[in-house]
Amino acid sequence: MLIKTREANNVVIFDIEGEIRRSESMQTTLHNQVKSHLDRGRRNVLLNLEGVEFIDSFGVGEILASYISTQNLGGKLKLCRISKKLLLIFQITMLTKVLDIQEDCECALESFDKA
Amino acid sequence: MANGRLEKLLNRFADVRGHEVHAALYLSGFLFLITFSFSIVKPVKESFLIGLVNPAWWPYADLATALLIGFVVALNARLLNRLPRRTYISVTILFFIGCLLVFWYAFDVYLKSLVSTPVTDSSGGIFFVWIPLAIIKTWPVAVFVFCFWSDVFIAMSVTQFWIAVNDVFDPYQGKRLVGLFVTGGLFGGIVGSSLAALMVIARLISAENLLLVCPILLLLALIIVNLVYREQQHLREAGEVEVNPVQAGASVGYWESFLSVKRSRYLLLLAATLASAMVAGSLINFQFKFAVLKIFPNAGDRTFFLAVFFLGILVISAVFHLAATGRILRSFGIRWALLVAPVLLLAGSLSVFLVSAGALLAWASLIRGGDKLFDNTISQSLRELLYIPVPADIKYKAKIFIDMFVNKFATGLGAGLYWGLYRLSGFAYKDEVAKVREIGILVVVFLVLWIALTRAVYAEYPAVLKKDIRRKWDEGDNIVRANVDVDLTRDVFDALQSRERSTTLYLMNVFDLVRKNNLTPELKEALGIKQDEIRARSMDCLFDVGGEVLFQGLDETIVDKDFASVIDLVFLLPSYQEVMGKRLAEDAGSLSEVDRMDAAKLIGLMVRSPETLRFLERFLQDPSPEVVTYALRSAAVHRRAEHVPLILRQLGNPLAALEAQGTLTDYGPGIEDQLKSALGDESEASEVRRAIPVVLARFGTQRSADILLDELARRRDDVEQELIDALYKIRADRPTVRFRDKIIRPEILFLIEKSYAIVLNAPGRAPGDAPAGLTSEAKAALDIKIKRVFDLMTLLHPPEDIVKACQNILQGTRKSVDYSLSLLDDLLDRELKAFLFPLIEDLPPEERAQRMKKAMRLK
Repeated sequence: MLIKTREANNVVIFDIEGEIRRSESMQTTLHNQVKSHLDRGRRNVLLNLEGVEFIDSFGVGEILASYISTQNLGGKLKLCRISKKLLLIFQITMLTKVLDIQEDCECALESFDKA
Repeated sequence: MANGRLEKLLNRFADVRGHEVHAALYLSGFLFLITFSFSIVKPVKESFLIGLVNPAWWPYADLATALLIGFVVALNARLLNRLPRRTYISVTILFFIGCLLVFWYAFDVYLKSLVSTPVTDSSGGIFFVWIPLAIIKTWPVAVFVFCFWSDVFIAMSVTQFWIAVNDVFDPYQGKRLVGLFVTGGLFGGIVGSSLAALMVIARLISAENLLLVCPILLLLALIIVNLVYREQQHLREAGEVEVNPVQAGASVGYWESFLSVKRSRYLLLLAATLASAMVAGSLINFQFKFAVLKIFPNAGDRTFFLAVFFLGILVISAVFHLAATGRILRSFGIRWALLVAPVLLLAGSLSVFLVSAGALLAWASLIRGGDKLFDNTISQSLRELLYIPVPADIKYKAKIFIDMFVNKFATGLGAGLYWGLYRLSGFAYKDEVAKVREIGILVVVFLVLWIALTRAVYAEYPAVLKKDIRRKWDEGDNIVRANVDVDLTRDVFDALQSRERSTTLYLMNVFDLVRKNNLTPELKEALGIKQDEIRARSMDCLFDVGGEVLFQGLDETIVDKDFASVIDLVFLLPSYQEVMGKRLAEDAGSLSEVDRMDAAKLIGLMVRSPETLRFLERFLQDPSPEVVTYALRSAAVHRRAEHVPLILRQLGNPLAALEAQGTLTDYGPGIEDQLKSALGDESEASEVRRAIPVVLARFGTQRSADILLDELARRRDDVEQELIDALYKIRADRPTVRFRDKIIRPEILFLIEKSYAIVLNAPGRAPGDAPAGLTSEAKAALDIKIKRVFDLMTLLHPPEDIVKACQNILQGTRKSVDYSLSLLDDLLDRELKAFLFPLIEDLPPEERAQRMKKAMRLK
C-alpha cells in the first residue's frame, strides 16, 4: 500500500494505492498518518480510494479509527472514488451510514465547504 | 493622548481593545454627562417634593409616572422608528434642555412669589404676567410635572445611552465594556452630586438655579453623541466596521417590546424580579423621605443633605464597584451574587422594628443608601449578565420595555401601595417611626418576593443558556456504534479476504457468520453463496467467483438449523480431536502462512485441550500478523490467563493491536490487575501502555476507573491522552462510576498549567517580550490540550454541558462562545474558573499571558 498526501482547500487528501490490508501495511498505519495531521490542526480529511483494489478487516478498522479520531475533534472524514464492488460491501455492512462516500474528489472537496 | 496610552488607561476599568477606544471613551463620556445631570436634577426634585407638597401627595408623582410612562414609551418607540438614530437622540436632548429652562423659570417664579408678587418679579417682565400667576395658582402641579419629567428624562436618557451602545458595539463588546460605562456613570454622579452640594453649602446658588447647570451638560452630551455617530458613519463608509444587524433591522414598537417579554418565561421572571426590587426600592424611598423631613424641615438644608447623601452613595458605589463587584461575582458566581442585595436589604429592613426615633435618619440613610449602592453596582452588572442568554434582537426590544415601562410601573405600584397605606392607616396622625415601620412591613413582603423571584430566574438561567448552546458534533465511536455492527463487518471482510487464501478458512468464516445468524440474503449474494455453489480459488477480485465447483447446494445447507449443531458435534468427537491435534502440529510447523492461519482459526472452533492451548500460544507469537489475528480471536474464545502476557505484547504491534484490544476486552474485568501492572510498568513499550486504557474503558468498572486515575496521577506524558480518553468514555457510558474530586481536580489544574506553557513559551518569544500570537501548530496543540481539560472536567460536572461548552469554545461562533463561557461561569467553582478562563476567553495575547501568570501566582 502506498499513501501520498496533499492539501487542497484546507482539506488533507490521502491518495491511497494498492490494498489496505494487514499484510500490506507499513509500520505507520493510515490511522497514525491521519492522527498526525489532526495533531497539526487539520480537521478535514479525504481518503481517495481510486487506486485501492482490496480492503480487509484491518483496513476497515483503520478507516473507522481514522473516522472516529477526526469526528471526535470536530473534523470531517470523507471517502471518494471507491470501487462499485467495495461500495456494495460497504452498503451491506452499513458502513455507508457512517462514512460519507463521494463519487469524485472535486465533489468531495466542495462538500467540505458546504458542511 | 496616543491611542496606546489611552487604551492602557481605559483598560484599568474594562477590557477595551484598540479599535474601540474612541467610541468607548465617547460613550462613557456621554453617560458621565447624563448622570452628572441626573445627580443635579435628583436632589432638586426630592427637595421640592419633600418640602413643597404634603406627604399625602408624595405618591402622586410616582403614580402619575406609572400611569403616563406607557404613553411616553409608545411615543419614544414611534420617534425611534421614524427618525434616524442620530437625529432622534439629538432632538430628545434638545427637548430636555428646553424643558429644564421652563422648569427653572417656573420654580424661580414660585419661590420668588413667596417673598414678592409676580408683578414685581423681574422674570415677569419676560413673559406675560398671567404665566407667573398661573404657576403660583396651580402649585404643586408644577412639582408633579417636574417629578414626572425627571423620571422620563432619566429613563429615556439611560435607554438612549444603551441604544447608542447597541448601535456602536455588538453584545459581546458591550459586555466587556460595561465596566467602563458603569465607571463613567458613577463618576458623573459623584461630580454632579459634589457640585450640587458645594454650590448649595457655599450659598453660591439656590436649589432651583442648579437646574441651569444641566442644559450646559446636555449640550456637551449632544456634541459627544454626534461625534460618536459621525465617527461610526466614517468607519462604515471606509468599510472598517459593519452595520450592526440589530441596528439595521431594528423597528421597535411598544407592543412588540411588550410581546417580546410576554413570550419568554425567562424575560417575564426577569421583569418581575426587577419590578419587585423597584417596588421595594420605592417603598424604602418613602421611609427615607419621612426620616429626612423629620430632621430637615428647611428646604436649603434638605437639598444640601440630599446632595451630600447622594454624593456619598455615589462615592461608595464607585469604590465598591471598582473594588468589590468583580470579586463578588467571581467569588459567589451569579447564583449567590443575585441574593446579596435582597438578603442584606431584608436584614436591614427587619431591623426597623428595633430602631429608636433618634436613630431613624441613620437607619433610613443606611437602607436607602444600601438599595442605591447595590442598584448602582452589582445589580447593574448582574442585569447585563442575566441578559446574555437572550438573543440580541429580543434583548434590544425587551430592554426598552423593562427599563422604561416595568421600572416606572413598579415605582408607581410602590407609590400606590404607600398611598393606600397612608389613607387606610391614618398616617397623618402617626409619628414618623410608626409610619416607617408600617411601610417596613410592605418592604419586607417585596424583598421576600424579590428573593423568591431571584431563585426562579436563576433556576431558568442555565436552561436558557443551554438552549442556545448546541453540540457541534457527536462522538465518532457513538456514531459508529449506533450504525455499524463492527463485529459483523469484520467477519464479512474476513470471509471475503479468506476466499482468495484458503477454502477451509473461507468456510470457517462463513460458518462463523451462520452461527451468529448474520448471513443475510444480500450477504450470501455478495459472498457468492447464493449462486448455489462454492468454487475453489480464483478470487481475482472480490465478487468474480470462478473456478472449479466444490460444493453444490450450499445455499440450502447453510440455512439448515441442524447444520451448525452437526458441525459442533463433529468438533466434540474424540477422534476429531485426535486427528486434528496431529494436523495442528503439522500446520504449526508449516512454512505456509495460509496453513498456520487455518490452524489458528480452527483452535477457536475446537474444544479446549492442553495441546490446542499450547499451539495457540505458539500462534500468538507467530511472525505473520494474519496468523496472530486469527490466534487472537481463538484466544478470545478460550480466555486463558497464561495467554494474557502474549496478547499484551501484541498491543505493541500496530497490525494486531486493535484485535488484541478486542481479545482482552473479551477476557473481562478479571484481568484488570494484569493490565494495571503493564500500564504502570515503565519498561513496557509505550504502544502497549497506550493501548491498555481502551480495554479498561470497555470494562467500565469502578476498579478500571481507579486504575486509570492512579496512572493519570503519575503524570506521564506518553499515556496522558489515552488515559483521559478512557476516563471520558467511562464517564459517558457508565454514569454510576464515581470519580473523586480530590484526585481529579489537581490533574485538571496540572493540565491547565501545561496548556499555559504552550501560550507562555510560544516560539519566537524572548524572555520579557510581549507575547506573540500562536502559530497554527501551537494553536492546534493548545486546542488538543483544552479538549483534554474539558474531557477531564466531565468527570466532575454534567458531561453534556461540559462537552457542549468545549465544542463551542473550540469551534463556535462568537455568540456561542460567549454563551459557553457564561454556562461555565455558572457551573464551575471559583478556583477552576480562575485557572481555566485565561485559557479559553478571547483575550489579546499580552492580556492572556498576564492573567495566566496571575492565576499561577494565586495557585
